[in-house]
Amino acid sequence: MTDTYTSLVNGGLTGSLAKKLGLPRPSVLRRHTPGAPLVTGPVLVLGGAVGTGDDADAVARTLLGWDLDVRRTAADDTARWGAVVVVLTEATHPDDLSDPVRELGSVLRSLAPGARVVTVSRPALATDAPALAAVRQGVDGILRSVAKELRGGATGNGVVLAGDVTVDATSVHGALRFLLSARSAFVDGQLLTVSSDAGSAPADWERPLAGRVAVVTGAARGIGAAIATTLARDGARVVVVDVPAAGEQLAKVANAVKSTALQLDITTPDAGTRIIDHAVRRHGGLDIVVHNAGITRDKLLANMKPEVWDSVIAVNIASQLRINEQLLASDAFRDAPRIVSLASTSGIAGNRGQSNYAASKAGVVGMVRATGPLLAEVGGTANAVAPGFIETDMTSRIPFATREVARRLNSLQQGGQPVDVAETVAFFASPAAGGINGTTLRVCGQNLVGA
Amino acid sequence: MGDERPTTTLPAVPGLGGLYARAVAPDPAALLARVPVLGGLVGGRDEDRASGIVLPDVTYRVADVVADPARLLAYQRLLGEPADDLLPAGFVHVLAFPVAMAVMVRPDFPLPVAGMVHLANAVRVERPVHVDEHLEVRAWAEDALPHRKGTQVDLVTEVSARTGAGDEREVVWRGVSTYLAKGVGAAPSAVAPEVSDDAAGTSVRSSAERFPTGRWTLDAGIGRRYAAVSGDRNPIHLSGLTAKAFGFPRAIAHGMYTAARALAESDAGRPGADGRGAYDWTVEFAKPVLLPGRVAVAIEPTTSPDAGGRRAFRYAGWDAKSGKEHFTGGVTPR
Amino acid sequence: MPQTAPAHPTTPLPQDAYILGGNRIPFARAGGKYASASNQDMLTAALDGLVARFGLQGERIGEVVAGSVLKHSRDFNLVRECVLGSALSPQTPAYDLQQACATGLEAVIGVSNKIRLGQIESAIAGGTDTISDAPIAVSEGLRHALLNASRAKTVGARLKAFAALRPADVAPATPSTDEPRTGLSMGEHQAITTARWRITREAQDQVAYDSHHNLAAAYEAGFFDDLVTPFKGLTRDQNLRADTSLERLGTLKPVFGKSLETPATMTAGNSTPLTDGASAVLLGSREWAQAHDLPVLARVVDGETAAVDYVHGHEGLLMAPVHAVPRLLGRNGLTLDDIDFFEIHEAFASTVLTTLAAWEDDDYCRTELGLDGALGSVDRARLNVHGSSLAAGHPFAATGGRIVATTAKLVAAKAAETGRTARALVSVCAAGGLGVAAIIESADTEGSTK
Repeated sequence: MTDTYTSLVNGGLTGSLAKKLGLPRPSVLRRHTPGAPLVTGPVLVLGGAVGTGDDADAVARTLLGWDLDVRRTAADDTARWGAVVVVLTEATHPDDLSDPVRELGSVLRSLAPGARVVTVSRPALATDAPALAAVRQGVDGILRSVAKELRGGATGNGVVLAGDVTVDATSVHGALRFLLSARSAFVDGQLLTVSSDAGSAPADWERPLAGRVAVVTGAARGIGAAIATTLARDGARVVVVDVPAAGEQLAKVANAVKSTALQLDITTPDAGTRIIDHAVRRHGGLDIVVHNAGITRDKLLANMKPEVWDSVIAVNIASQLRINEQLLASDAFRDAPRIVSLASTSGIAGNRGQSNYAASKAGVVGMVRATGPLLAEVGGTANAVAPGFIETDMTSRIPFATREVARRLNSLQQGGQPVDVAETVAFFASPAAGGINGTTLRVCGQNLVGA
Repeated sequence: MGDERPTTTLPAVPGLGGLYARAVAPDPAALLARVPVLGGLVGGRDEDRASGIVLPDVTYRVADVVADPARLLAYQRLLGEPADDLLPAGFVHVLAFPVAMAVMVRPDFPLPVAGMVHLANAVRVERPVHVDEHLEVRAWAEDALPHRKGTQVDLVTEVSARTGAGDEREVVWRGVSTYLAKGVGAAPSAVAPEVSDDAAGTSVRSSAERFPTGRWTLDAGIGRRYAAVSGDRNPIHLSGLTAKAFGFPRAIAHGMYTAARALAESDAGRPGADGRGAYDWTVEFAKPVLLPGRVAVAIEPTTSPDAGGRRAFRYAGWDAKSGKEHFTGGVTPR
Repeated sequence: MPQTAPAHPTTPLPQDAYILGGNRIPFARAGGKYASASNQDMLTAALDGLVARFGLQGERIGEVVAGSVLKHSRDFNLVRECVLGSALSPQTPAYDLQQACATGLEAVIGVSNKIRLGQIESAIAGGTDTISDAPIAVSEGLRHALLNASRAKTVGARLKAFAALRPADVAPATPSTDEPRTGLSMGEHQAITTARWRITREAQDQVAYDSHHNLAAAYEAGFFDDLVTPFKGLTRDQNLRADTSLERLGTLKPVFGKSLETPATMTAGNSTPLTDGASAVLLGSREWAQAHDLPVLARVVDGETAAVDYVHGHEGLLMAPVHAVPRLLGRNGLTLDDIDFFEIHEAFASTVLTTLAAWEDDDYCRTELGLDGALGSVDRARLNVHGSSLAAGHPFAATGGRIVATTAKLVAAKAAETGRTARALVSVCAAGGLGVAAIIESADTEGSTK
């Protein structure tokens, strides 16, 4: 799981050599440590006219409320900017992009390592005036291109405000905070849509899941174990679930996060009921379910046996659908519940030899889109996280050359860590993400595949 | 008691090694051959001294014998007896028997000691003997009788100790060791019908089948270890090589070791809760136990516990594979 | 069957002791998956799995009592060491207990009694054993020489101590599971009992067949999902042969009783192999369980330990449970008909069969057990319903914990299904002519559901 290349090209002697040779120099990403500042320098808020009470000012005020060093102009050229937030919600014509984007361009060379560029915009709709739709869709293009231009572990992402959602909506704050923070280290080039005012700010941003009970499937190792650990760090009681055969590792995870292990095959018909029963009996309730368990059985479709296809569908999507049905029917899962499901970039972009896996993972994308609204009436959400190349036991078995290519094939020029996926899961599980529902967020370092 | 014979007092209990040597003094080659053995594999010399067997008219006596506590402990450990201050009956045997042996190796002893077979042993214990008691040992030979395979003779050993306050003595232990001199005086016409050696003694079968209650796994060193605590260093027990010299395929276990171990495992040789400690301990030997070897044993109570908690036992040992009997016996509290 | 008058304790105990759950690692065949694991490794794993299942990280348990039959001398405080290496609070006290194969069940009874007395509120009982990592001792001769040398004050005396050594003394002494007083192995003892009770080969093979098939079915049904935590890559008991058949069992050659005058009937198939493994059972008072949001599966009603005079062949070595059970039932005013599940440890298939035969034997029950007549018959459909040691294997001290946790789950499920109390009788025979029996009842539903 060690990315030797990244450490080599950032080391003293080999580092300067790599620079001279023009080799890609992936940065060591800024990752979350409790107590660390949200961003690493002053935050520049661009967009709109200063002091007119528009959305950019509102965002600036929000950031000031988080005790950040907020600037509205780039006048101070000595600054190493921690973040640039470009508020474009009020642009009505592509001409309106010119000023803020130029200003953004002027500071791109003076960003701090691990800096953040975040756009705030609205979606382009068929009912919009053509010019309005053009500028709004244009933001996508700007954001995705800028993200590819950034270096030094900096990322670029956008918050999209759907419908009547204002920049002061709880989940806009939540999304902004997440995208500015180190928690989104491997999220790059993505647009996150806030669709409602739902959600609530946590009492403590360091422990947003305090008092919540979470279940993580497939938690014995890799991404699942990281999710369990991250949710526990954020304050949740975590029931870790995995197949009985993975029990030894599962017990270690449970003991590390000081919670309970449930050995359970999620494909058993009453898995959902047993999960609910365990969480309620042992922990007094159930608030968060993370569908992480999944398998791959790669074969070209031309060679694929029916049982190989069926097993992947059964584990990766059918079990989730059945468990969700049981969750939705349960009285125990009604306090702003959260379902977070693991999709995959393979499900979005497709992958040779993974038709079964891609079907299941694309299925997850569709499933959360349709499940979210069912949960909304009790303040709940269903979202998915689509990891790209993540350094795990599984990917460490990929042949070296293939692995190297896969690693570098994104804007951050490296593979992500399991914790990067886990942070996004934890964000979706948090109360501040209550207005984000039915979406799929990629955690892929802006992977070129299917971007 | 047949103790009206003239008494010869020896200064001390003789060493068995020296006695073995004296048994065959003129002929070094025959030195080892003149040693009594257990079992029937070695044929005696084919001498015809059928009639007129006269045993030495003498009682050997050693006036003051005291057990060595270290040797007692070694014996107790080896046989599985409790490490207390009482002399197990088998220990008294090894303490006193050399006096009887001294009678057997007298020049006027009429039977060839070499190749003699230990047929049986009967011990009558009158009371427990304490380790620091001063014992008197008397031994003589008696009852030379025709046997279907030769002539048998009893070697009697009596051990007495002080009783009460004065010098009065009482017999506390009496052992009769029956030996067979093969081919000596045998009169086939007069011999009782042939019975198999295997059937010698009492069977312990309680039902149609015989079941063991235990198994002894005897390693090759058990002969040497018992020799060390008993002083009986008969070469047939010490190693395969020395045993082969006497016609045995391997070393054989001391018969008295097997009998003494059965006694120890029966519990019946120890004083009861009521303080009574008198009992009879008998053994009859059949096939010798070859070393190393495994002996199936059945050591079973035959009565309910008496007032002191003591029970009578019978015991038997046999070859677990072939079923051939090695020994049978009993321990009967009185 | 006529009952002796129930003799319930006259003074009510402060509280009941409940089984809350259990955990074990799969049992491995000797020299198998756990060949490199020590007793400490295995028991620690069993404890950690239990902690993980019940969320007991950092919890100060009232007492952890477990043991091991084949134990290294360095493991003098084995269980405490395991606790210190586990995720439990280091303030959890522990002690080692050893009663041969009955260690685990005796530990359960012991801690239950402490809970009932109110001395502790929670406990873990269990056991571990390894035949693969068994202690090897020096020979008696070398041991004496070493001890003498260590006591010697001069070099000369030290040399003299070693001069007493013989070449054979240097050979290590391997542990023996033979009975010290008889020199017979457990299998040879049982072979005699088997022959005395005229138990047939066919009946023994049937017990073995049932054990394997019942255990395999329970695994398939997920019954052990919350009772077993894999260890070292082993996810199910290594000895389990789900596909065994009576034909295959019938082809095996006898291994015990071959030197008896009766036909030998005990094979490797209908005898339990030596195995490595560990188990742990979580017990507590109802209040403790409620305070920790833990389920209450079953109540430990009572226990009885018996011993028999096997040394001189009066009784079979493994027949002590035959004596313990009628005493236990009588004291509690119960008969065999009151029992929903019989969990009789399968040291050998014939152990179970001689036990059942003895209880059905009028004369034996009168003369040996002091009853008015036969104790009665055990309904075979209620016997070892999810398999037992023949299939699972038998790491001596770990077996009691395996059985108790399984049984607690069984009675809890039965009670949930029928709505009435379910009762089980557990019995484990042990070396030394020992035997332990216990009655376990489903807990009433109060507190066991939300």
